[in-house]
Amino acid sequence: MSSSTPQARSPGDRVCQKEARAKAMGHIVLNGLMAALFASLFVRAGDLPSSMWEPLGSGTFPRLILAVMMVFNLLIIAKEGRRYMACQPLAPHAVRDWLWRHRLAFGVLGLFTLLTLAVPLVGFRWASLPFLIACQFLLGARRPRALLIALVIAVVMSFGVDALFRHVFTISLPRGVWG
Amino acid sequence: MADFFLQALNQVGNPAVLALITIGVMFGIVGGSIPGFTVTMAILVVFPFTFAMDPVSGVALMIGVFVGGYSGGIVSGVMLGIPGTPSSITTVYDGYPMAQNGEPGRALGIGMLASFFGTVISVGVLVFFGPLIAGFSMNFRPWEITALIVFALTLVAGLSNGALLKGLLAAALGLLITTVGYDRNSNLRFDFGFEPLNSGFEILPVMIGVFAFSQLMSNLEQLSDERATSQRVDTKVAIPYRQILVDLAGQKLNTLRSSLIGSLVGALPGTGGTVANFISYDQAKKFSRHPERFGKGIPDGIVASESSNNAVAGGAFIPTLALGIPGDLPMAIMMGVLILHGITPGPLMFEQNPILVGAIYVSLLFGAVIMVICQLMLVRWFAKISLIPQQILVPVVLMLCAIGAYALNNNLFDIWVLFGFGIVGYLLWKAAVPLTPLILGVVLGNNLERQLFRALELDSNWLTFLTRPLSALFLALAVASVVFSILQNRKINRNLKAQGSDA
Repeated sequence: MSSSTPQARSPGDRVCQKEARAKAMGHIVLNGLMAALFASLFVRAGDLPSSMWEPLGSGTFPRLILAVMMVFNLLIIAKEGRRYMACQPLAPHAVRDWLWRHRLAFGVLGLFTLLTLAVPLVGFRWASLPFLIACQFLLGARRPRALLIALVIAVVMSFGVDALFRHVFTISLPRGVWG
Repeated sequence: MADFFLQALNQVGNPAVLALITIGVMFGIVGGSIPGFTVTMAILVVFPFTFAMDPVSGVALMIGVFVGGYSGGIVSGVMLGIPGTPSSITTVYDGYPMAQNGEPGRALGIGMLASFFGTVISVGVLVFFGPLIAGFSMNFRPWEITALIVFALTLVAGLSNGALLKGLLAAALGLLITTVGYDRNSNLRFDFGFEPLNSGFEILPVMIGVFAFSQLMSNLEQLSDERATSQRVDTKVAIPYRQILVDLAGQKLNTLRSSLIGSLVGALPGTGGTVANFISYDQAKKFSRHPERFGKGIPDGIVASESSNNAVAGGAFIPTLALGIPGDLPMAIMMGVLILHGITPGPLMFEQNPILVGAIYVSLLFGAVIMVICQLMLVRWFAKISLIPQQILVPVVLMLCAIGAYALNNNLFDIWVLFGFGIVGYLLWKAAVPLTPLILGVVLGNNLERQLFRALELDSNWLTFLTRPLSALFLALAVASVVFSILQNRKINRNLKAQGSDA
């Protein structure tokens, strides 16, 4: 085992090794969770009714796929497990660094969650207007000129698109509980 | 043939449809020219606007985006040195150096005309081979179709850059997604007691969520780096028409070869413009009398790259229309749009909807003409637009995705489906799981189950899949694609280890 372990030769290499270990751990966790989910679905699919006249019951096709997927999950776990053992442990602040690196993506996903929650309540126009402004602000529109552009884009893409769909495409976007 | 072609010409020649193709082409060029936006994203953003249109208009608009998108990558490639789409990577090799040598207009002009010829030649290939393959596949029975779908999925998974297991897992996950909701016998599967899941997932919100979120989130991860390297670009470009014509006159063979490579590669599942791009560039270099000038701003490199990636447009339609099996992401979405309009792509489409097939041919040709005119006239503006920052792009595209998901059935639940699969897509992307096999699995899952069911209904013996010659051939090819991928990965790993020990 040790003979096949890649040796870190420089600080840069050591960072790569640590990242590789984190990625290997991520794969093991993700595939472990997936395998558990697929196993429970496999059991559940076994309870689906089968027909007397047909060669395949309702659960046959999903069970076939789920079985194959579990095999793939286990193979990936085995492969990544070897990689994990061969790498150096993570630095203590690695998780914090990772979260910080992904702050914009998580921020936008958070705002999209709020948009999805707000659309049924206040309608598309009034939900998308603050979403567009907040997103652009989060992603770097901070100066007055950039904020003005952000506001114009938000108005056009919320009220303008709503009007376009309503009057040109005759598709009514949600109006909300007061609409 | 000529009769339905004329009818199609009449429908697409309608000013309203021509206007839609023009809008599509312009949006496609803009989408293709913005780094990190991609042709697929441009198609996703435009697709909700087709809901209220008739099939010909909707398909014409989408084809406009498709044609424009593949040609749009050249703008940022030449002006910024950043390929707008992955399929224009090799355009940068010679386009950017030529622009740096003070000839951006020449580089753009050569690329635009090469794109035009690439599209036109690929339409010729589509018109010739599409009906032939469709006619041949009319003989396919459930065993052959099942085996063909399995082959397409394994081929796409196997081409996932050293991630065969993850590619296969993704394809299977795509198939699993289609098993949610009522099956053909009205038995409820995997609804988890949640009523909106009774009817299963709509394909399009799933596709948009998986692809768009992962793409946009990856753009955001690079946002801070781009801020540091943001550059000002001189967008005053003049096209030297006479010189371009002289340049292209010496590139006839290169154009034809690269366009045929693009068409052929486009017709293979899982390949697409990026692969065509590299193969054509490599072949152009091998056949060139001046291979040492490649990478320094030679017209041959730009012609090879742009004619091949645009030729993918026509080639990619061959398996989609003739077999009902999309080869790549843009085609999977195009297939989703056709299904949305009540048209099932496949061999019967040539018999049941010949006018629509003709409209696709004509739209591709008109799209190519409109693309080259728009590019040559408006190149300066496209160059400016390619500088749109991600801070504007990301929220606007996310919002349009939400509209697309909602407007499909006027159903708010579909926005949650979009969001949920967006998270799934982002997680899988972070875990380096290829997303194309997943999306193909979602598109082909229902048909695979249906055909498997029919095959076993006709003959309950599973060995029939191996005793029927074509079915056995497709399954053998599926196994071969997996074995080839394993061997290739081992070779790559060996080379990497050898490089590591040399260092």
